[in-house]
Amino acid sequence: MIRERPQSFNEVPMKERLTIPRQEMPEQDAVERSGNFLEVNLGLTPEQAVIEAQRCIECKKPTCMDGCPVSIKIPDFIQLICNQDFIGAADKIKEDNSLPAICGRVCPQETQCEEVCVMGKRFEPVAIGRLERFVADYAMNHGGSDAKTIEKPEPTGQKVAIVGSGPAGLAVASDLIKEGHEVTVFEALHEFGGVLVYGIPEFRLPKVILKEEVASLEAMGVKFVKNFIVGRTMTIQELMAEEGFDAVFLGLGAGLPRFMNIPGENLNGVYSANEFLTRSNLMRGYDFPEWDTPLYRAKHAIVVGGGNTAMDAVRTAKRLGAEEASIVYRRSEEEMPARNEEIHHAKEEGVEFMNLVNPIEFISDDQGSVVAAKCLRMELGEPDDSGRRRPVPMEGSEFIMDVDMVVIAVGNGSNPLIAQTTPEIDTNKWGNIVADDDGRTSMEGVFAGGDIVSGGATVILAMGQGRKSAIAINEYLRTKVGSTS
Amino acid sequence: MSLKEQISEMDMDSIVEMCIHQEQQAIDLYTLARDQAKDEASRQKFQELVDMETVHKVSLRNFELENYLELPPANLKVTDYLMEPTLKDNMTTQEILILAAKREDKTARMYQDLADHFAFDKELNTFFQMMADEELRHKHDLETEYENQFLQEG
Repeated sequence: MIRERPQSFNEVPMKERLTIPRQEMPEQDAVERSGNFLEVNLGLTPEQAVIEAQRCIECKKPTCMDGCPVSIKIPDFIQLICNQDFIGAADKIKEDNSLPAICGRVCPQETQCEEVCVMGKRFEPVAIGRLERFVADYAMNHGGSDAKTIEKPEPTGQKVAIVGSGPAGLAVASDLIKEGHEVTVFEALHEFGGVLVYGIPEFRLPKVILKEEVASLEAMGVKFVKNFIVGRTMTIQELMAEEGFDAVFLGLGAGLPRFMNIPGENLNGVYSANEFLTRSNLMRGYDFPEWDTPLYRAKHAIVVGGGNTAMDAVRTAKRLGAEEASIVYRRSEEEMPARNEEIHHAKEEGVEFMNLVNPIEFISDDQGSVVAAKCLRMELGEPDDSGRRRPVPMEGSEFIMDVDMVVIAVGNGSNPLIAQTTPEIDTNKWGNIVADDDGRTSMEGVFAGGDIVSGGATVILAMGQGRKSAIAINEYLRTKVGSTS
Repeated sequence: MSLKEQISEMDMDSIVEMCIHQEQQAIDLYTLARDQAKDEASRQKFQELVDMETVHKVSLRNFELENYLELPPANLKVTDYLMEPTLKDNMTTQEILILAAKREDKTARMYQDLADHFAFDKELNTFFQMMADEELRHKHDLETEYENQFLQEG
């Protein structure tokens, strides 16, 4: 499809654009930051943002939009940056993405919009994520927000309950409040944001950003209820029959930590990444003595896994004072699912990488605390279904390493509470809710999206599913009115 | 009398029947687990295992040599170092896969042991080797599923 090109404010001749270097994001010094929880990346300056925006060659077919799960109008917002209309650029993004300051920080742009940027074929791709983050922060700091710019629609009188305040739930809330529905978000924890608040550390996503995004939705009319566990405090059936909700969206995420099932996983000092990061992030364990959340400060911590969660956990352990903080990963670095940027930052901060190593037992002292890990070395075999070469244990390669803390970061599953309390909703063999492409579940009026359906993906994919569900919920509510009037 | 001594005195039909009985025991175990499972996800997983063992049982009755000539895939050893869960009514899919893979591994070892023991008898050796290979195929499938679902470290 050839799309109509936006008006170009870019005065740099086309050929010269190819010579502009990709703008590097200023960041905290590695030694300094490995001892604090302040944000690592400091964001582009306005001057850098304009220069970076001028690198865009305004493709007739903007493939970058195809790479974005919510199809942000990337060329349009970049052109607005060229014109130094930063708030206009932020508003342009918000037409498709209600959480730009968050996505600008945690989206894996290198495998989405930037991966398909045409500039990337010969040069480095336009730093779309950095630009998104810049304009979102700029708008936040200069008073730009949806609440002020969007007119409140005529109320429909219909009520929608959103279960879970993670990225999927917030995306649905944002879209449905604009349609005039009464939207209430129910959150089980005492803070809003789901995995964004309990899973991602302050040094990667400052919580003030999340609070601003939630406040923006509140200003638009979304109601937020915390400490409310759907399935315990009230069931879905009760929400609909007794509280009068016309539709429900389930965006509970995948918050059930997985373990390895090896001996010693129940020792003191062995945490799931979920617990370790929740204590540090949500319960502010890192902020002692301001917050007095118990959080073990290890001398030698190992984190088992190779994803972004593992990187977050090991960098947190380092910041909490670990003399040695190591990643133990059963594959090689090439197969690591973590973002390259996170691996790079972890290495800069002094994290050791023990690749092709897998623990097979944790060993305790006489007090039941972990003091060592027995590990096996692995070698790479044939590729598996994901294309990554499969690690196979090397016979007789066992070795023991001293550790006083272990964090298991091998993934999360779905919380079974909804499946147990709402048998009308079909789940698959992994416990994920079964939903069609638009989020419809087997229970009428109940929709689902995000990790509770996909079983664990990115923030933006969860938001993309949420937005599709919002369209389907809106359609469902319109039909419902039609059939009852 | 040991299993090996019993087998020495059995004809081929009886040996096949004995192996079918072994498969039936697995089917009975997984059927019981399916019926006791508390959630739909576990019921589905146990039903898949019942189906897998049933196919194997049927193939034993229709024993054809060419079906068994293919070498087994590499032993991934994904579950070799994991703790064996006990059968209970609220097992997770992760536990079910570990339990089943370990069971296939044990059965493969038993058949391999018999194949090695009867190395002097070409017919018996071939039969037990093929049985061991088939169990290793099952283990490979289960471990592949385990790896895809539980070892992606995302």
